[in-house]
Parts: sequence; structure tokens; C-alpha cells
Amino acid sequence: MKFNPKIIFLALIVAGVSLGGRAIGLAENMTQTTTLAVFAGVIATTLFFWERRVAAAFIGVTILISTRAMTLQSILKATELDIIFFLIGMMIVVGVLKDLGFLTWVIQSIINRRKMTGISFTAILCVLSAVLASVVDEVSSIVVVLALVFQVCDMLKLRPHPFVLIAVMATNIGSSATMLGNPVGIFIGNKAGLTFAQFLVGATPVAVAALTATLALTVFWFRRDIRNMTLAMARHRRMGLGPVLKIPYKTGLFILLSTVSVIAFHHQIEHALSLGGVENKNAFLIMTPLIVAGLLMIWRPHRARHYVEKDVEWWTLLFFMLLFAIAGSLNEQGITQNLADTLTSHVKGGPSGMIPFVLTIASLGSAFVDNIVFVAAFTPVIQALVERAADYSVLWWALLFGACFGGNITVVGSTANIVASGLLEKHGHSPIKFGTWFKLGAIVGLVTGLIAWAMLAILPLPHPASAEREAPPAQTAPTELPSLGNV
Amino acid sequence: MSMKQNSDLRLAAYFGPGDIIPHCGEMSRNEIVRKLVEDIYRCGRIPPIGIDETVKAVLERESDGSTVIMDGLALPHARIEGLAEPRIAVATSERGVEWPGEESAVHVIFLLLIPQDKPALYLQILRALTTALKDDATLHTVSAMTNAGEIHRFFESGKAYLPRYITAADIMSRDFLTLKDTDTLQTCVDTFIKKHVSEVAVLDHDGDLKGVVRAGELLRVCLPEYLLWMSDLSPIANFEPFAQVLENERRTWLSEILVKEFPCVTPDTPAVQVAGEMTRFKSSKCYVREGGKLVGIVRLPKFLNKIFRE
Repeated sequence: MKFNPKIIFLALIVAGVSLGGRAIGLAENMTQTTTLAVFAGVIATTLFFWERRVAAAFIGVTILISTRAMTLQSILKATELDIIFFLIGMMIVVGVLKDLGFLTWVIQSIINRRKMTGISFTAILCVLSAVLASVVDEVSSIVVVLALVFQVCDMLKLRPHPFVLIAVMATNIGSSATMLGNPVGIFIGNKAGLTFAQFLVGATPVAVAALTATLALTVFWFRRDIRNMTLAMARHRRMGLGPVLKIPYKTGLFILLSTVSVIAFHHQIEHALSLGGVENKNAFLIMTPLIVAGLLMIWRPHRARHYVEKDVEWWTLLFFMLLFAIAGSLNEQGITQNLADTLTSHVKGGPSGMIPFVLTIASLGSAFVDNIVFVAAFTPVIQALVERAADYSVLWWALLFGACFGGNITVVGSTANIVASGLLEKHGHSPIKFGTWFKLGAIVGLVTGLIAWAMLAILPLPHPASAEREAPPAQTAPTELPSLGNV
Repeated sequence: MSMKQNSDLRLAAYFGPGDIIPHCGEMSRNEIVRKLVEDIYRCGRIPPIGIDETVKAVLERESDGSTVIMDGLALPHARIEGLAEPRIAVATSERGVEWPGEESAVHVIFLLLIPQDKPALYLQILRALTTALKDDATLHTVSAMTNAGEIHRFFESGKAYLPRYITAADIMSRDFLTLKDTDTLQTCVDTFIKKHVSEVAVLDHDGDLKGVVRAGELLRVCLPEYLLWMSDLSPIANFEPFAQVLENERRTWLSEILVKEFPCVTPDTPAVQVAGEMTRFKSSKCYVREGGKLVGIVRLPKFLNKIFRE
């Protein structure tokens, strides 16, 4: 039997993280070391054996329970069912939008345009990718915009690869703009105790700035392909980019706007319903997609089963649940507190000094493993830091932008990238080479990371509701971290 | 083509010299069939149904189509329910027997009674016979033999082994339509309509099999995926997207729309694997490729007929 060298790399990573963790004081006993090894093993599996990630997570959870690193109850508690329910609800809502033709209308309204150039198409593609990603989710968004790219490029007989790259990068950036765009967004927002509006105020300006820079960069990078598209469009002006159709969209648009509006005002609704306290944190934010999905399935009972069975990504959600549980074990075993201690003792400059550090670590981490994996691992560390001083809440934003923007660096950086590669191959095109992606991705990742750093340093950012509620007044604005003894 | 043989499965093991009628004289097909069935009964290897029923089953099969599998060789046969082992009886005629529906006379007649629950056995015996009597000269040598023992020895000492399993080559058709990847969508649509087919193999300029085009795929070209997201297609009730394809059909090459994932096997692939491939791809055809070239196509109706009926 042929031996796969990836297994050696995986074993080396697990051994390295476990022993290294022990050496620098993250793991002080055997249970902590086992917990660290399981976490490293699951992350390394997502890196080397992507298709076996759920299997690895199953085994990881079993090891944690068997070695008493976690109890069954604590595993169940750590699965973040609130996030999972939110995602299920949103996936059903998006399925209904697809079914009603709203997403078809989005594509069709661009295909129906007769006077377009390569530049205007690229700009529309960029903005559409980002906006769609921010209001539905990154995976649905990339499926929609790539359908547009394939339609246009097939019609014009052009290589779709440059436009796929542009769409994916804009999607990853746009997905950071709201809590709806990325599982990372709802996870961080919920953990940080941010309301939808606070998240929007904090994230959208940075996402818009990063998107503008990315558009400029990609237009320059692919200037030849865009010029070819302009020429091809001029040749095809009579025929257009596809069949001109009138697709009904009002019902879908109403559903989308209603859902987003209710989510946007969830904090006010919770207040009106007296849903206060930590136990009801963001209750209506989580519930809204479920309520909307429920109403839609009552309205369309003959399609309800289809929405639940086909439109919900159960495989992904199962992985998320298990991953959250495994990441929760780091917190339960005190490893994240140890890591927080280590970080604060090594990274000087308080919260501002730690922004570039978290941005860089999250970007590089997310470039090679799924960003939710990295965020799930880092969240307890930031929670531990925020518990010490509320100003560290700025690191939630650093984590968000690092994870989302870092996803652009490589082809495996985010779920949207992997879906896009798969769609390219499904349509009979060669996949984008790692080096081709990396050359542009690294530049976009660096530029957008720098933009995020600069804006986080100068913009007034909303404080998480929980930080406002829970942090004592004396700790609201420290410039230096208090010594551990004072915490 | 290599064929694995099983020395335990000699064709001659299924019949003895007593089952052979050399130089059967001037008998008709029906008389020979009856005589051979009676011989099988006389040798004590009695099928569970009576002589008349057995003869009727064999002749009914004959009426569905001639069982002459190569010039001079006929294989009248029937599947018999409850039969444990195959029964074979042989008749030869140097002068030849007139066989209804055939232009030339038949010189060697193998009557086969096959157990109903052994679907591959007929094809295995068929394969063994065509290998043993591979040319006219061998066939005439056998038909000229005057002694039953001599004929039996020929099959015992020759290459008449039953293959371990039947392969794609045993059940494939060698007649098939192809298109080139440089052909246009227009050519493809014309082929589908005029030849009444729904799937055609596509070859490249070297003649290598590159993929297939299916009528269903043409619909996919006409109806882009994003239109199929809608459960209600009334907005395109007047086939507007098809008009676009019509305008483009002379400029759309088959290389752009051909399907590259399709059931494909080599000639020596076991037939059951062929069935698996067709099931996996939900296809009614399996392509048989050898060294990149298309050598045959297994079609589901023929496959079912070979396994369940013949």
C-alpha cells in the first residue's frame, strides 16, 4: 500500500503543537496536552484531508470525552446551537429566494443590460458579489455570481478564470460586512455580544474600503482580460450576453428585505419584548431566520421538505458543531487562558499593539485552514482578554477582518474559494493554479489587511453590548493591560 | 484480448459422446431440436419439464430470432426453470441443415438448456464455443467427423473453456454513431433528430473518445443553471433561451458542451462491473474503450436481453 506523506506532516503537526504547547506553558498536564493534540489534529486534517474533516471531528470529540477532557454535557453546550439554528434558518430563506426566482432575477437584470464594457462588468461583479455575500451568505453568493460569470464568458468565448478570482475576492471581503455574510461574522458577533447594527457600523466601512482597494487592484491585475472582454462585448452587442427575460422578483425582494430589516432591528425588538440578560443575548437575531423560514414553509408546504433537505448544508453544519465543541474544550481546559497570558506577556502595546498581531495570525491561519476553524480556536483567547479589559474588544474586529480577508490568500482559504474551484471544474475549465491564486491573493490579503489595521486604529468602533453591560467601569479604558494578579 | 479461463469449466464437461448425433442426415430444424431434446432425456439428464414443453421453449426462442451465431453454427437454446445444471446436446451435418431465416446451411448444432437462475451461463458457453470453433475450417473439420467420441474429444482437448465471467466485449455492440469534437451543435441536434438517438460519443481528431453529448445536455445548454433555480419556469414559457442557442448553434463546438464523466470500461471488464457503471452514472449506455479508442458500446436493453432472456 502506498504511504501518504501527508500523514507524516499531520503527525508532526500534532506532535509539534502538543510538545510546543507543553514547552511554552499552554498545556500543563496530560489532559491539556491531549486536548491540544486533538485540536491540532482536527485542524491539520482540514488542511491535508479536507474531505475527512467531519470524520476527524467525530473522532476528536470521542477522544475528548474518553480522556475526560470534556463531559458529554459540556460538549453539547459548546456546539453553539444558536449559531447553527441561525445558519439553518438563513439557508432555508436563501433556498426560498432561489426557488422564487429572486437570485435568477439578480443575474438576469445584469444579462439584460445591453451597453456594458469589461470595466463596468467587473465593477458590477465586484459590488454584486460583496452585497450578495453580505445579505445572503458567501457560498450562496459565489454560486450566484459565478453563474453570471459563466453565462457571460461562455457567450463571449472568454476564459472565466480572472472574473472568478475577482468575484471570489469580493465575496470574501463583502462577507465581513454584516453578520449574515459569513458563519465567522455571526459567530464573532454573537460571542462578542454585538448587535446587528453595531456589527454593521463597525464592519461595513472597513469592508467597503477593502472592496474599493480590491477592485482597483484586480482591474489593474487583469487589465488585459478586461480589455478583451470590452472588445468581445462590442462584437456581441447585437446578441447581448444571454436571453433577455423578465423574471418576477418582487416577492423574493420583499422576503429578503423583511428578513434583513427584522434582523437589523433585533435589538429593539428584544428590548420591546423584555428579552434582556446574557441568557437572551441576541435572541431575536438568532430567531428571525427561523421564524421567517417557518412562515415560508407554511406558505409553500409542498416545497418545505426540499428546502430542509436540499438547501441546508447539513454536512457543513455538522462539522461546525463538532468543531465548536472541540474548540470549547480548549477553553474548558484553561488552555485559552494560558494562551491569553502568554500573548499579553509577549505582545506589548495593549489592545492597539495586539491588532496587527491578531490580524496577521488570523489572516495567515485562514489562508490555509477554513477561517471558521481559526476563529473558533481564537475566540476563547479574545474572550479571555476582553474579560481582563474591555478595550481588547477591538480584537474581535481584528479577528473578523483577518479571517475574512485572509481567506483570499490561497485557494483553500475559505469555503467560497473551494466552492468556486469546484464550479470551475464542473463547467469544464481547468482549476486555478495555487501559484496563480497566491500571487494575487497575497497582494489583496496584504493590502486589505493594512486597510483594516489602519481603520481599526483610527475609527471609533462600537463596543460590544456585553462588554458595556458586563465590564466594570474601572476597566473600560485601560491603555496598558493590568497585571494578571489584578484581574 | 485476454480472457481468463477456468480449467474446471470445460465445455465438454456438460455433455458426453452419448449426447452427440454425428451426421444427422436430412432432418429439418424442428426435427433436430426434438431429437436432441429426446437424447438428453434418454441419457437420464432429465429437465424438470417434459419433452414437449422443452421443445416448445426452444422453438419459441428460435421464433424470436435466429440463434445462428456464426456461419454454419447454430445454438438453439432455452432457459428452463428448476434446472440445476446446463444440458447440452450436439448434432453435426456435413451436408448442412436448412435453418429458417438463414441463407446458408448450418453444419454444427449445439442445443443448450440453461438453468433459469444462471443468467451468465449462456454467454459463457457462447464465448467458449466461438473460441473453439473460431473459423470456417475448424467448423467443417468438426462437421466432417463421423464418430461421436471423436467430436467429444475435439471439444475436450481444444480450447473450449468457459470463461470465469462474461466481459464487456461479450455484450457490447460494435456498431455505433460518433461525432467529432470539432462538429457543431447544429450537427449534433440534426444527428439526434434524424437518427432518433439521445446520446452520441464524441471523438477528437486522433479518434480518441473524448466524451459524450446527450440530448439532456443540450437542454442544459438551452436552459442555463440559474434559470433552473426557479421552480416555476413560466417566465420563459415561450422558449426564449432556446432562441439564443439557435442563433449560436453553428458557432458552438461540441468540445464546449460534451460531458466528460460517463460510464466507461475496457473490453475485459466483467459484465457485472459494466452494470455497476451504468447504475452509478444512471445511464443506459456504457462505453468500451481500448487504448483511448472507442471499440464498442454496451446498451442497456441488449444487456438486459443477454442476461435475462437469451
